[in-house]
Amino acid sequence: MAIRIEPREPRTQSQGVEPGYAQTAQRWPAQPLQRRPHTASELTGPSSVLRRLAPVRGDLAGRGATRAIGQLIHLRTRVVDEDGVPLPGAVVEIWHCNAAGKYIHPNDTHDAPEDPNFYGAARMVAGDGGLVELRTIKPGAYPVPGTGGWWRPPHVHFSVWGRVWLSRLVTQMFFPGEPLNEADAILNAIRDPEARERCIARFVPSEKHLIYDYQLVVRGCKGTPGMP
Amino acid sequence: MKRLVPSAEMTLGPFFPREFAQGANDLTRVEGRAARGEAIEITGRVTQADGKPLDNVVLEIWQADAEGRYDNPDFFGWGRAATDAGGIYRFRTVRPGAPAGRAPHVNFLILYSGLMRQLQTVMFFDASPDPVLDAVQPASLRSRLIAKSIKPREYRFDLRLRGEGETPFFDD
Repeated sequence: MAIRIEPREPRTQSQGVEPGYAQTAQRWPAQPLQRRPHTASELTGPSSVLRRLAPVRGDLAGRGATRAIGQLIHLRTRVVDEDGVPLPGAVVEIWHCNAAGKYIHPNDTHDAPEDPNFYGAARMVAGDGGLVELRTIKPGAYPVPGTGGWWRPPHVHFSVWGRVWLSRLVTQMFFPGEPLNEADAILNAIRDPEARERCIARFVPSEKHLIYDYQLVVRGCKGTPGMP
Repeated sequence: MKRLVPSAEMTLGPFFPREFAQGANDLTRVEGRAARGEAIEITGRVTQADGKPLDNVVLEIWQADAEGRYDNPDFFGWGRAATDAGGIYRFRTVRPGAPAGRAPHVNFLILYSGLMRQLQTVMFFDASPDPVLDAVQPASLRSRLIAKSIKPREYRFDLRLRGEGETPFFDD
């Protein structure tokens, strides 16, 4: 059965211009977005972008004595579609800052220490059950320059390829219990409280590791229209 | 069964790893082999409301092969580029054929800091009838989705995110 892409539910997605995030008013279109019919062009997609993008190591916590500084965490992310069907083979890019809140990026001007043993980027493939397991360290918080006190809460960036071109997902994952979550202009752009809650990982008690579970739902379903 | 709600999209942020955006903007080759078809170059400048060019914007494209097919194992119709400090991106690809029921076109996806979710648009080569181009309203905006031919095999497709000459974008 063919894949369908249903319109976005407005309360579960940012509407583009966010009062707490000045650049959105320079960059989000002023004109209403256009609607279009969906054809094979929108409802197909690259089988595996690894034909053009190389995998990048899937352990950001360093090795042995060269361990990155920070709280070691195990991040278990499951990639599913709207029907809840897992997507083994889905390619996922993950990036985040170090424990002090500093990215490995020339644009990051924050006065926080770099960590020579931390490399903040991975490109991985979902395994059985759509699972992507990443060992890393918990990212720190950092201030957004020129905003008079907006600090980004600890978060992890994700970029995911789903089944078709319109399934592409770029998002961020947050950590439970972080006070900065309450005022973050990006997390709170999601007006629906349940949808916002789903952007926060679930802590899983375990003796050996700090485990966080997270689920990414990419767009696309096969069910009958009007019968969700 | 109740459908799951798709994850909330969020901005790429200013710190998308530079190396993630490199080395994937040449679709004329796939795994070392030359793709069939006429090689073309697509370039353009990405600007924001005040006209400022934007650095490190990530653009991804998806297109049919030279015969208008999407499932050809010898052509990989996906690529990614990032803009330079002057807001310029560059793709090398093959001219897509006409898929069934469509005019030749290249799908564009734009990801950037301050873009709360992805923007989608489409580049066409001319004003031939097409169900997506013809869905753009008002009709006077359609010409903004047609690339300018600079010289043979070179096309210019500028993207104005907001403001004067704003590119039409799609919501799906």
